Amino acid sequence: MTVTAERPAELTPRRPDRGPGSRADGWVRRAPLLPALVFTIIVTQLPFLFTIYYSLQSWNLVRPGSRQFVGIDNYILVFTDSQFRQVALNTVLLTAGSVLFSLILGLLFALLLDRAFLGRGFIRTLLITPFLITPVAAALLWKTVLFDPTYGLINFVLSPFGVGATDWISTFPLTSVMVALVWQWTPFMMLLILAGLQSQPHDVLEAARVDGATSWGVFREVTIPHLRRFIELGIVLGAIYLINTFDAIYMMTQGGPGTASANLPFYIYQRAFLGFDIGQSAAMGVVVVVATIIVATFALRLIFRSFSGGEET
Amino acid sequence: MAEVEFDQASRIYTAGAKPAVNRLDLEIADGEFVVLVGPSGSGKSTALRMLAGLEEIDGGQIRIGGRNMVGVPSRDRDIAMVFQNYALYPNKTVGENMAFPLKMRGVPKEERATKVKAAAEILGLSEYLDRKPRALSGGQRQRVAMGRAIVREPQVFLMDEPLSNLDAKMRVSTRTEIAAMQRRLGVTTVYVTHDQVEAMTMGDRVALLKDGELQQFATPAELYDKPANAFVAGFIGSPAMNLFTLPVSEEGVRMGSSELALPRSLRSRITEAGLSTVQLGIRPEQWTVGSNGDGAGVKAQVDVVEELGSDAFLYAHLDDGEQTPVVVRTGGRSGARRGDQIALTPTSEDLHLFDPSTGERV
Repeated sequence: MTVTAERPAELTPRRPDRGPGSRADGWVRRAPLLPALVFTIIVTQLPFLFTIYYSLQSWNLVRPGSRQFVGIDNYILVFTDSQFRQVALNTVLLTAGSVLFSLILGLLFALLLDRAFLGRGFIRTLLITPFLITPVAAALLWKTVLFDPTYGLINFVLSPFGVGATDWISTFPLTSVMVALVWQWTPFMMLLILAGLQSQPHDVLEAARVDGATSWGVFREVTIPHLRRFIELGIVLGAIYLINTFDAIYMMTQGGPGTASANLPFYIYQRAFLGFDIGQSAAMGVVVVVATIIVATFALRLIFRSFSGGEET
Repeated sequence: MAEVEFDQASRIYTAGAKPAVNRLDLEIADGEFVVLVGPSGSGKSTALRMLAGLEEIDGGQIRIGGRNMVGVPSRDRDIAMVFQNYALYPNKTVGENMAFPLKMRGVPKEERATKVKAAAEILGLSEYLDRKPRALSGGQRQRVAMGRAIVREPQVFLMDEPLSNLDAKMRVSTRTEIAAMQRRLGVTTVYVTHDQVEAMTMGDRVALLKDGELQQFATPAELYDKPANAFVAGFIGSPAMNLFTLPVSEEGVRMGSSELALPRSLRSRITEAGLSTVQLGIRPEQWTVGSNGDGAGVKAQVDVVEELGSDAFLYAHLDDGEQTPVVVRTGGRSGARRGDQIALTPTSEDLHLFDPSTGERV
């Protein structure tokens, strides 16, 4: 604050050796990095340019020879497509819901594992396991072993309470997918928050106890502010992964019934490989990329702010 | 404000092993400043943490104001503690840090603000109240920790080596400030340190611990003049007291080739205890130095001379065949040089005698 005002002048960066040879020197240092840069451009930027090109074409694979330039028609169709809006909303619900619930459960489990009790190592391994299972296998497990209306475990367990043979996946398709995702992502959140809990200085917790805080007071006043940055990191990383969910939807619901449980990646896949409409799905892809960049910029700024904030005055 | 009592208080970390604190008995009067001192692993911090409620009391009792504290959580003990690393809340401002104990006790907001403001004024923190702890220097953080302790006017202050993270100069000035503040507030204080200078200068009384056992609990002067055993004698005082194990002779003890005459009172105590050898303690300032030619005294050769200005320390070894080291304090301009032969005679009659087998004072 006041300190920054009186920074000595010599702290402004000096630029020595800015002679005639330095430009060549710079390239000598940079040249070995060029192949990697070129490769990155080829595999990420060229496909994107192609996608933009396709998005300006009317091109349906089932009608060969129909391909023609249509300008922004595909984009207009995307924004007037009510299914697209429905699916975009699904994506937001699925991502936000999965992140939120796995975060809350992860916090609870992390608090449990932060205490010493008999068999803690074993319980910790069990709690981490869902994260280690292949997403496709996990989705299949939920679909057949747990949610199945005739032989699913959930109906079996709930049958004494008068819950009949509910077909969970077709009755609550989005929620079912979300449950499977939460199950898989809770361990991730738990590990992040556990790392945060264990990095808490003991003496601060002790000081709070001596200062008269109850357990809840210590948690609210000391632990939660300390965990804030870990929770933010969990939200951002979780959202980045979960917004791209495809496997769980593909395995459990195929986006159905209708598009009730489809998210944007799945819907684009449907348009491209089931509807064969390359032009329109390319336009959707471009829209999603732009939207993701905007969201990610804010999200990443949040991460960097909270993690560099610890050191600045 | 209250008196504090340790009544046979023990802390046992692992059953069967030696207790970290073994049957500690201390009676601390209301308003007294007591320092717990000892080497690392002596159990002084554990004893303090037992009083704070951060460690279990496995045996005996600890009473604050006559109330037994076994099973009472920290928050109900009406104490305030200053930690070695200050343990400030990093996400709270200085003001919020200091107000926290009041907030946790449900003190209304305006009253909190008044009290924090008053404490900040005393500690010179008024202009930093809106800063976060990480923007403060070590000394300022230390003051915030003190402030957090004093705002809530507890029955007892507990301080766990609060000065050990400060630089030497800061430590000396803060030492005086803490002692002065404690006298003014009149709050019973238990202070833990491994630094015997802090112990001697700050405490009304000092409890010296070793391996979880209380060695002596007395005023600083008594600790220095009448150490209860050889360990206390060696721990208190810098440089440490010279301790020699010597055979008893007719007139006193034999030291190398010469005989050191002891006063009658000391000799009778040796006879009473029936000792054939005795541990003799002589403080560095209890010697007179003569040049070698004088004949009287114990011969020694100077190895190192430490000139401190006001006085000087001679580190020498005796010509007794075993090169026993000895430390002597002399005037600031002693003129002694490395390699000089000197003759040492104990000046005082107030020498210290210990039983060599038990270490107890004779």
